Amino acid sequence: MDREKSHAPDPPFLWLNVEGKSSPATANLVPGNRVYGEKLQVRKKIEYRVWDPFRSKLAAAIMNGLKTFPFTNAGRILYLGVSTGTTTSHISDIVGPSGVIFGVEHASRVARDFLDRVASYRPNIIPILQDARRPAEYAGIFDKVDVVYADIAQPDQTAITIDNCKMHLDVDGFLLLVIKTRSIDSIKQPHTVIMQEVEKLEKDFDVQQIIDLNPYDKDHAMVIARRSW
Amino acid sequence: MDISMNKYSALLTELGIIITEDKKTIVKAFAFDDAVSDYLKIKSGKIPRSCRDLKGHLESLNTTISTGDEALFAILRSTQIDVRMLKSQDAEDARTSKLQLMTGAGFTSDDRDAVSKLREFAIGLASSKVTEVSSSADLHVIQAVNSLDEVDKVANALSSRIKEWYGLHFPELDNIVDGIEGYARIVLAGRRDSLATESFEDVGFPETKAEMLTLAARNSRGGDISDGNLEIVQSMAEQVIMLYELRKKLESSIEEEMIVIAPNLSAILGTLLSARILARIGSLKRMSTLPASTLQVLGAERALFRSLRMGTEPPKHGLLFQHPMVHAAPRWQRGKIARAIAAKAAIATRVDVYGDGLNKTLLEKLNIKIGEIEEKFDKPREYDGRHDGAQRQAGTYVDEPERQRIRGDKRSRHRKAGGGARHADTSYDGSRDVGSKHMRRPERTGPKEDGHTRGRKKSKTQTRDDLDIRGKVSKRKFKVKEGKRKSKIKKGKAGKGRKRTEGKNRSRHR
Repeated sequence: MDREKSHAPDPPFLWLNVEGKSSPATANLVPGNRVYGEKLQVRKKIEYRVWDPFRSKLAAAIMNGLKTFPFTNAGRILYLGVSTGTTTSHISDIVGPSGVIFGVEHASRVARDFLDRVASYRPNIIPILQDARRPAEYAGIFDKVDVVYADIAQPDQTAITIDNCKMHLDVDGFLLLVIKTRSIDSIKQPHTVIMQEVEKLEKDFDVQQIIDLNPYDKDHAMVIARRSW
Repeated sequence: MDISMNKYSALLTELGIIITEDKKTIVKAFAFDDAVSDYLKIKSGKIPRSCRDLKGHLESLNTTISTGDEALFAILRSTQIDVRMLKSQDAEDARTSKLQLMTGAGFTSDDRDAVSKLREFAIGLASSKVTEVSSSADLHVIQAVNSLDEVDKVANALSSRIKEWYGLHFPELDNIVDGIEGYARIVLAGRRDSLATESFEDVGFPETKAEMLTLAARNSRGGDISDGNLEIVQSMAEQVIMLYELRKKLESSIEEEMIVIAPNLSAILGTLLSARILARIGSLKRMSTLPASTLQVLGAERALFRSLRMGTEPPKHGLLFQHPMVHAAPRWQRGKIARAIAAKAAIATRVDVYGDGLNKTLLEKLNIKIGEIEEKFDKPREYDGRHDGAQRQAGTYVDEPERQRIRGDKRSRHRKAGGGARHADTSYDGSRDVGSKHMRRPERTGPKEDGHTRGRKKSKTQTRDDLDIRGKVSKRKFKVKEGKRKSKIKKGKAGKGRKRTEGKNRSRHR
């Protein structure tokens, strides 16, 4: 598929001055449409959606010094654990109409909100209501993806994510993994859990950065890694 | 040789089935009529109308067919066709070239069209799944049981407000009438001076009680109440009566539905407790995958995680405390009985999900087991119920700062004050007691009171609730209710505190 770069802006997101604070914001793919009650701001006739780091862990990672931002115009993304689609909607803004997001979610309660509020308005989202443990069964997915973003609350989240990457991540593709230490082990120290999960990744990935998401999300970390097999 | 055997492939795509030769050339394509429903049919092992010639076509090829899809593999294996699974590399290639394949097969006009058709398909499939899940009966039971708890909460709050307000006008009433149902009906009857013995009898009180009430009304110390205020209190009373009716409806609906969706579980735990546990877990299917130990301590997450973290005693029961057999048992038997019940409840859930009908042996065996426990442990052993959790300390891997943080200041202060060498050695056990008692208290008494009142409610359910609704009250029953009412107030407080912490735990540990 030819991936013409159009509409979606470059750089992927802007810093806007909102109420005296500098916040990231993405150009709204569906002008006028709000997903989770975020603020809308118009700059140079383009409508931007302010990105709340307390609601989205990707925004929190940006606030805490994310160095590589792998989401680009016309990118293809596999997103595990879209939940109600808060972060997904901003990535959808960024990849623009030529990009595609495959949004995987297993829980039907949140998937209902995701379908109603996000997936049905945004033509670049393909919802997949399936278990991320069975990546070969995804209906609607095609080709390889540039980025796998994983935010799943399972004790074996890292193993699930690696399975998905093996099957769907393109050469040189990026992985962004949210480590939810409390979902993995509620007793061990968060730091221990993070290091233990990073170790699991290191066989197949170059781990580039580990970001603590405090104060936006307690006991969470984001790992940015690049496929190395 | 291998290559020639894998010459033909049958590829399942979202929009139809494509037969390829040498992995590239499309020899035949079966487009789905209704993509979502045809796709789901294939996945469930059936052949949709749009593909009715599929088998015939593949048979006519008279060679080995490879497929990348397990469902399609299962369908084809049941025929004469020699079928095998694609190698994972080939399956990956097929996935990578899916858009081109679909366009080549004529399902779509170009890549862009293919993407939008795939998206349409994905949304259709996702919606059908949401619809399917939303109509499952256990979700409705969960809503009902949660409503029940909320109705209780609202009714209790409103009841105490009515008693306070109408109490200004007729303070003696509260001490004579205990059930809010009867109280509300008297409020509806109007001012105390307009109440005659007959009006009390109309509400449903027996003659003696009605006379007592008339006397109290005549000599009341209460003040006047204006028409406007009386009207407001009366409409609140109406609401309370309606809430009680609603509660009754909810209760019977839960009972009916639970017996249909989980007859075995309901037989072991009773319908209401089954529904509460189900609500905590989310679905019957998920519950059937849980071990009995999880069911045993469900609802006591705070105590469980504290035990894992610090080596205190693990909880013996969570929600299961509400089971009449557990809370009626002597303290030292409860853990054992809860474990036996949880074990059978876990099996019962599996029978409900994967088996069929009611299996009576489960309950019989449980009763035998409980009989054995009661016989064997009829007297408490010395240490029963008074374990020193320190024994468990070895093997837990929580570091000291964390433990201190959890235990709070009290312990460290104690420690500092202790000072000397002897203390340093023994302070562990000594302070432990202080610490653990301190920590344990809310958990211990919490469920106890909670379970206690609920227990009473359970064992005397019929009498009490019937009486509440119908307002038929006898003197003897009143006494029961008096005790009940007092403990109910306590329960409200304990329940509140507990719920908050449970919520916290849930978000933290799931």
